[in-house]
Amino acid sequence: MTVFKTFLQVLNKYKATVIMYTVMLVAFGGLNFQTNDNNMNFTASKPDILIINEGEEIGITKAFIEYLDGRTNIKDIRNDEDSINDALFYRDVNYIVYIKPNFREEILSNSPNQEEQFYKDISSANRTVIEIKTTGDYQASIADMLVKKYLNLADIYSRTYDDEEEIIKHINETISLEVATELTSKVDTNTLSKVTFYYNFLSYSVLAGCVYVICLILSSFKNKEINKRTIISSMNYKKFNMKLLLSNCLFAIVLWLVYIVLGFILVGSVPTDYLIFYLINSFIFTICSVTIAFLISNLINNKNAINGIVNVVALGSSFLCGAFVPMEWLPASVLKIARILPSYWYIKTNELLKGVEVFNSASLEPIIINMLILIVFIIVFVILTNIVTKLKLKK
Amino acid sequence: MFLHNFKYSLKTLFKNKMLIFWTYAFPIILGTFFYLAFSNIENSEKFDIIDIAIVNNEQFNNNIVLKESFNVLGAEESDEQLFNIKYVDLDEAKNMLESDEISGYLLVEESPKVIVKTSGTNQTILKYVTEEIIQNENVLTNIIEEKLNGNTIDGNIDAYIQSIRDDALKMLDINSLQIRDITSKKLSYTMIEFYTLIAMTALYGGIIGMTAINQNLANMSNNGKRIAISPTNKIKIIFSSLLSSFIVQIIGLFILFMYTIFVLKVDYGNNLPLIILLSLVGSLAGLSLGMAVGTVLKAGENVKVGIIIAFTMLGSFLSGMMGITMKYIIDTNVPLVNKLNPVNMITDGFYSLYYYDTYNRFYFNVISLLIFSLIMIVLSALSLRRQKYDSI
Repeated sequence: MTVFKTFLQVLNKYKATVIMYTVMLVAFGGLNFQTNDNNMNFTASKPDILIINEGEEIGITKAFIEYLDGRTNIKDIRNDEDSINDALFYRDVNYIVYIKPNFREEILSNSPNQEEQFYKDISSANRTVIEIKTTGDYQASIADMLVKKYLNLADIYSRTYDDEEEIIKHINETISLEVATELTSKVDTNTLSKVTFYYNFLSYSVLAGCVYVICLILSSFKNKEINKRTIISSMNYKKFNMKLLLSNCLFAIVLWLVYIVLGFILVGSVPTDYLIFYLINSFIFTICSVTIAFLISNLINNKNAINGIVNVVALGSSFLCGAFVPMEWLPASVLKIARILPSYWYIKTNELLKGVEVFNSASLEPIIINMLILIVFIIVFVILTNIVTKLKLKK
Repeated sequence: MFLHNFKYSLKTLFKNKMLIFWTYAFPIILGTFFYLAFSNIENSEKFDIIDIAIVNNEQFNNNIVLKESFNVLGAEESDEQLFNIKYVDLDEAKNMLESDEISGYLLVEESPKVIVKTSGTNQTILKYVTEEIIQNENVLTNIIEEKLNGNTIDGNIDAYIQSIRDDALKMLDINSLQIRDITSKKLSYTMIEFYTLIAMTALYGGIIGMTAINQNLANMSNNGKRIAISPTNKIKIIFSSLLSSFIVQIIGLFILFMYTIFVLKVDYGNNLPLIILLSLVGSLAGLSLGMAVGTVLKAGENVKVGIIIAFTMLGSFLSGMMGITMKYIIDTNVPLVNKLNPVNMITDGFYSLYYYDTYNRFYFNVISLLIFSLIMIVLSALSLRRQKYDSI
């Protein structure tokens, strides 16, 4: 009880710092989290594009813009070259279409040829009617396909029909032909992706929060006089460590609860069976973070070093294990190294959960194994802490 | 006196472990993390060949157009290749979809159908490509109908239709209306991360400047008391301290530049003199910030360090260090914030050197940094002059 009381006293002394730091981490977690709608039917990916129409918006130009409007998200960006370039650089848009002033005339100048070989003359000189800027990613490829298809149809129909109305009518008729698409997965993957993203990010906040606060508090216990007083007391160092660890866990659990509540607010409802596993997993990870923090605080004696260590440990495991950048985008070599870090197994479990269709022994097995690995980490860290304390006592 | 103080302040700065960690080691460690995490991100966004399956049933084999088209799109090692196609039976296709080996499969019954597990980009591409093939069929039908309508054909109708078909197919392949790609080749947005890193380091230099100034302040250190009562020119002392911290800062920045350029392969653009100019001005901004925090605020050293770190971190956050989009969001929605944010002035300066061909934006940032530094220096000068203490 004495240990716990002291712990609370120290925590109280540092409450301003602790609250400020926690609020900052919570804010980062919340700010990085963007919501999007979920849908159970197939929805075609809509690339974000920007249309700069340098001609008049009439006739086929108008039809072209309407066509793109239905199949892409047209972004509204201030029409100056700097803003447009910035938008492309920061991927606010994937694709920019500049409709040249000659767009309509060039198409309409293709009049139907009555001769037999009416599509022969296709290698005219400069007939650039559209200029594009592209980020070259998947979304941009879709936009590229859409623009090329329309241009193609406009080209070929303008050589077949005379009248602009007729050309537009036939293009619209052709593009309205669709292929039936069927979705097999009945799981709402969108919600699960959101939850996974949130819980992955949580690994950074929890780890940074635990290491920072626990190191800060425990450094008071490391004070020379207080340390001497503890050593000569009748309490065994293992028992003392265990009590401190439990007090720390209490703080960590409060922190965990705050994030869970925030998660409910941000993500909304999640299917219960999934949620249980996300909760168990994050709980084990929180306890694991406490033991990491405990070990670190036993290794260092310098209060000023805490900030540096927090940043290196928390940012390091988050970057290497996929808390910020999804695991699938990390190089394989990085992921191999990441296996020695607890965050890897925690995040891996979240990713596995996202892919689960039905809960059965086959789908649960890897998840349980990952959780067990985390528990092994906890045990190892506790043992290491005791060894470090013992070695220090001998000195 | 100038040289004497200069020498010793260099020595004390280099021996300050915490200082060297934050300004030398931390940026390099952080940069390494960025590199490890982001090196693959842009490649994985690049368009790649998509794995799909086609149910190899009778209906599919009878549909010549679909079969031929997918044959072309799936041809290995051709520039046209869009898909990596497995021709399998229905059960196999279902299994492959279930185990995420393919993005989706095509099943031709009465009409073609695309079956996918979830909505997504690959799936959309598969759907659009299949649609395009069907739509091209419709185009051919339309054209032939129109041509037959308007003309009276003498001779072989079938041969005439065939020739229209061939021409039309050629047309569908080669477009006479052209699209020109005018994208700048430099679009690597992860570079911003490294620019914020340089900016952060430049401003962390403020800690160095502050530490050096504290050595000379009577209310901050015993050394300062000693200097205060000595009959030396205080301006000389302050200047030599600042110069030594500027040098420590520049060395740190230089190491970081070498590391990011040669190990992490960061691209800063090609204009070396301007890169150096921006780094020097950025460091000056950091130094003057440290000087102002050190002199204007009456607080303990740890609080001052905390303030500089917090200010820099907030600035870095707003200029995109924790998520590149943040810079864009602030730049477009509340531009004033980033126009006043020194971290962003440096980041944006590097960005404009990298991405823009003109230098207006670059010089705007350099001038903003100079104004920022000037304000900070004036503030510190005001509080430094004529200091008197009745008791400390």
